[in-house]
Amino acid sequence: QALASRQGPSAVLVSTRQKGNPILNYIRSLPWEYSDTPADYILGATTCALFLSLKYHRLHPEYIYSRIRALGKMYNLRILLIMVDITNHEEALRELSKTSMINNLTLILCWSAQEAGRYLELFKSYEHASPASIRAHQAESYRESLTEFVTTPRSINKTDAASLISNYGTLRAAINAPPEELALIPGWGEKKVKDWCSAVRENFRVRN
Amino acid sequence: MPAGSSTQPPVKLSLPLQFQQDLYNLLRAEDLLVILARGLGLLRIVSNLLHSYDATGNSLVIVVGAEDRENDWIGEALAEHYAISRSLQARGLRVINTEKASVPMREKIYAEGGIVSVTSRILVVDLLSKLLDPETVTGLVILHAEKIIATSVEAFIVRIYRQFNKIGFLKAFSDSPEPFISGFAPLANMMRNLFLRKPSLWPRFHVTVAQSLEGKKKAEVIELEVPMTESMRAIQNAILECVEVSIGELKKANSGLEMEEWTLDSALHKNFDVIIRRQLDPVWHRVSWRTKQIAGDLTVLRSILHSLLSYDCVSFVKYLDTVLAAHSPPPGSTRQNQSPWLFLDAANTIFQSARSRVYSGKVDDGSVLPTSNLPDTLRPVLEEQPKWELLSDILDEIERENYFNPVIRDDSNGTILIMCNDQPTCRQVREYLQTMRLKATKPEENGTGQAPHEVEEEAEKPSAEFMLRRKLREYLVWKRTFAQVSASLFEENQKSLNGIKEASISNNFRGRAPPNKRRRIRGGGAAGTNPRTANGAVSAADEKAAQVANLLAEIQPAGDETLVKEDVVIDDLTEAGDDFFELYDPDDSLVIHPYDADMDDNLLEELRPRYIIMYSPSSDFIRRVEVYRSSHTDRNVRVYFTYYGGSVEEQRYLSSVRREKDAFTKLIRERGSMAITLTDTGAVDPQEAFLRTVNTRIAGGGRLAATAAPPTVVVDVREFRSALPSLLHGRSMVVVPCQLTVGDYVLSPSICIERKSVRDLISSFKNGRLFNQAETMLQHYKNPFLLIEFEHNKSFTLDPFADLSSISTLKLPENDNKDLQSKLVLLTLAFPHLKIIWSSSPYQTAEIFEELKKNQEEPDPIRAVQIGLSPEEEAGGSLVGGEQAGAARTFNPIPQDLLRCVPGVDNKKLQRLVLEVRNVQELANMSVRELDPLVGVESGRRIWKFFNRSVFEGEGEGEA
Repeated sequence: QALASRQGPSAVLVSTRQKGNPILNYIRSLPWEYSDTPADYILGATTCALFLSLKYHRLHPEYIYSRIRALGKMYNLRILLIMVDITNHEEALRELSKTSMINNLTLILCWSAQEAGRYLELFKSYEHASPASIRAHQAESYRESLTEFVTTPRSINKTDAASLISNYGTLRAAINAPPEELALIPGWGEKKVKDWCSAVRENFRVRN
Repeated sequence: MPAGSSTQPPVKLSLPLQFQQDLYNLLRAEDLLVILARGLGLLRIVSNLLHSYDATGNSLVIVVGAEDRENDWIGEALAEHYAISRSLQARGLRVINTEKASVPMREKIYAEGGIVSVTSRILVVDLLSKLLDPETVTGLVILHAEKIIATSVEAFIVRIYRQFNKIGFLKAFSDSPEPFISGFAPLANMMRNLFLRKPSLWPRFHVTVAQSLEGKKKAEVIELEVPMTESMRAIQNAILECVEVSIGELKKANSGLEMEEWTLDSALHKNFDVIIRRQLDPVWHRVSWRTKQIAGDLTVLRSILHSLLSYDCVSFVKYLDTVLAAHSPPPGSTRQNQSPWLFLDAANTIFQSARSRVYSGKVDDGSVLPTSNLPDTLRPVLEEQPKWELLSDILDEIERENYFNPVIRDDSNGTILIMCNDQPTCRQVREYLQTMRLKATKPEENGTGQAPHEVEEEAEKPSAEFMLRRKLREYLVWKRTFAQVSASLFEENQKSLNGIKEASISNNFRGRAPPNKRRRIRGGGAAGTNPRTANGAVSAADEKAAQVANLLAEIQPAGDETLVKEDVVIDDLTEAGDDFFELYDPDDSLVIHPYDADMDDNLLEELRPRYIIMYSPSSDFIRRVEVYRSSHTDRNVRVYFTYYGGSVEEQRYLSSVRREKDAFTKLIRERGSMAITLTDTGAVDPQEAFLRTVNTRIAGGGRLAATAAPPTVVVDVREFRSALPSLLHGRSMVVVPCQLTVGDYVLSPSICIERKSVRDLISSFKNGRLFNQAETMLQHYKNPFLLIEFEHNKSFTLDPFADLSSISTLKLPENDNKDLQSKLVLLTLAFPHLKIIWSSSPYQTAEIFEELKKNQEEPDPIRAVQIGLSPEEEAGGSLVGGEQAGAARTFNPIPQDLLRCVPGVDNKKLQRLVLEVRNVQELANMSVRELDPLVGVESGRRIWKFFNRSVFEGEGEGEA
């Protein structure tokens, strides 16, 4: 009940256990304050994070489980922010992957304190963001989408896109162009011609 | 001729040479990995071997790893053998290479037996689903053995095959030794992957090979070195300088990588840019946009280098123009993101010299610049490729010889064969030969390079002037529109470089001294005199309109030109593909053909040429001629081998020969020292291994029911491209291939996994596919996972090499230039219950899967397949062969990716279009009215506009 009043609109709440954690130095663009919570970081109304350094985990494998137990079933999105600071991480990560399934945690790996800080900032600042930018293809200007369209087959690059369009004027003409004619464009070798023609002529469905 | 060692009527073979027979006999006797030098006719040996099995009947031989062309080759060869030997059992080659071959069809083909070539991805699925029972296979013939690494699909196939079939034969072939020598004990590893014990190496310097080819029937080879012209040499040197600088930049920017091999020397090697890309690929998500840009530059530079030698001067300039347009930033841009090589003096040299080969100002001091106020007239120079003249000389010589010493009667035709690198070169040579006798200029006007006194003579020197003038006319017309096009098209092309560039660019330039300042100082001195932009990069030198008009007037059709139709080339095109379908007398025909690897063998056999002119060097073609010559006692052949002296072309040729030789030497040494290690590769019996895992499981106590069945993973058939299914199988899990709609792997009724390599992850964030996949997984499974898989032994981190500090100026979610981390955050916020698995390699993924599966029920393949299907599809969804349900909805990925780029197409519309429209071409040709019922008027109009907007009209009605 005390939490609600203290929770500023844009502050990350940090457990006092995290005092001295170097990642705090990298939470720069948002305010943060200490608070008494079962999680390590509170990143929003329904989001919390536990922090684990693999180096520490190797020494105290039981630590994280006691923390998870303490967390109970609170919060909707429960991040386990893991700092990969040892080289033989395979075993630990395998075990933690399993744990994440059982305890409903979402693993996020980071490789530096800086990256960790950035993740915390991102989670907090995107709290109310809409996922639109990862939801659908980005609207772009005509030339960008044009270039992107033409360069979809891997062998074709920007220069080829330029020569293609400048030779034909419209995309439609370029799509309808016969392969022999395409081969006349400087820079368009057989492979490119073949890739382009098969990309635009190949059926969407394998079978009809 | 050696006959097959069977008791059947002898199989007729066509292996005239000693080494071929030796190799064949070896192969009949035991299982081998054969590495043969390129050009010695590997496919001929393979097809003879296949025929010997084909002719005996009652066999099912599977050919793995053959490309389409090889399938064609082998198919043809087998048919020929069949015609010769008339063995009743032979059935020829059958090919299964697309999903079009339906399951019943495949089953039938397998049941009938014979020689079947199957695409690896289909074969592995069929083997796993027991559509093809491994025990019924007589033997496996593997082509391109060099591609078989431990995690490849082919290695997987061999493993399954050997697991169930210990007696069938297994023979692997390769004609490229180079890949076998990288890494530690590479040959031994390769042999282990192939479950083979004995390698057999056949370099060109092998005694038998040398004896077979260097007997008294040696081919006559005449080497002709042509010097490059002054300007060509200048351009080549300049390009090499640019390459060197680009490599230097790469090294500087990526200090953490292995780069000993990034030298100019290796830059001459054919696939240099590919090698660099391959090295960078695993860390592609971490390198800065600048590195990406330079890697792209190297590709461009390499292709410029190539076109310098193969294109005529006009096409070369045209190509350079496009390169420049695609690489230059909008005028007045402050962003310093141009390719570094464009800032070099050398780049300037490239463009200047290239242009001066085509035309120059009358007062010749490089005054084609728009800034200078020197004379307004340009004059065509039209430098010819030196090889052209040489070519016509050779043809003259041949003609003369034929005239003076008519016909040594032998079995070869009088045909002259000209071999070039690629189709465009063929076309160019053809046009040259057609037009070299045509006079372009009226005699009195002749001041354009050719010695004037010769022009009027009957035996005029051949000249490419006619052709080049035509090209120049085309070029000038094209150029006029191009300026506009590039303005409307490429102003902001830099934006599309990549997604995270924006973030890191600000980052890169904030901390350090602003690079643009430095550049400006460097380029500033030259700005007045060079055709450069303010920031020092090369810019297109746009000639004044008057100058161009003048030039155009000068090259207006004159003399013979007016008599000949303008579109000579276009007429030619229609027959371009059918070179051999000529009804001319073969004795005086001239055939121009590109190199086509193994197909060349057939070409030689069919044409039986008396003379061969190699327009560009090729080491394997020489060998083919040797083999051809040695195989036929009664055919004489003379080879003219032409190359530019001191050129990249020459060095490339020499280094390819040397590299092959080195590779073989190394392999021979390794073979000498590895014999013992291979005898015990018999591997642990997989069944034993399997039992062991089950036992430990039961020892854990708990749920015996789950352990009674072998651990099973349902895998989407599309996932067989990756290494993971093979590794899962290697960890003794049962891999069930299915056509999944939701997820890639199903581990238990509640666990579903979508696998993404880092590259996939980036692209599927970009086009929104991942969001939808996550959505559907959540709908159907209790525990959906996103697996982010890194590459084995490669950097396991998302950190970019550059530091993050300045990205921390957080951007609003609307801003679309965001890095991977923030997208990941958005994804987890949107789907709190989506779990993420981070795996450093496919090996670790396999272990994690095993861990996750513990104490879980086994998945039900039928259920897994049906999930996500709409009800009516579900009704039809059966599980024949383990992969059938919804097979009708197998989609081709690339056309779909194209579709995703079209503005106005979102996911829902995409689905609709994919179902209703046949292909991209059809969509491009649809009218708004036709599109309306599918996607609505609004999107329909946008789609239509996208395809039909003309870049010539410049900026206008376009949407933002």
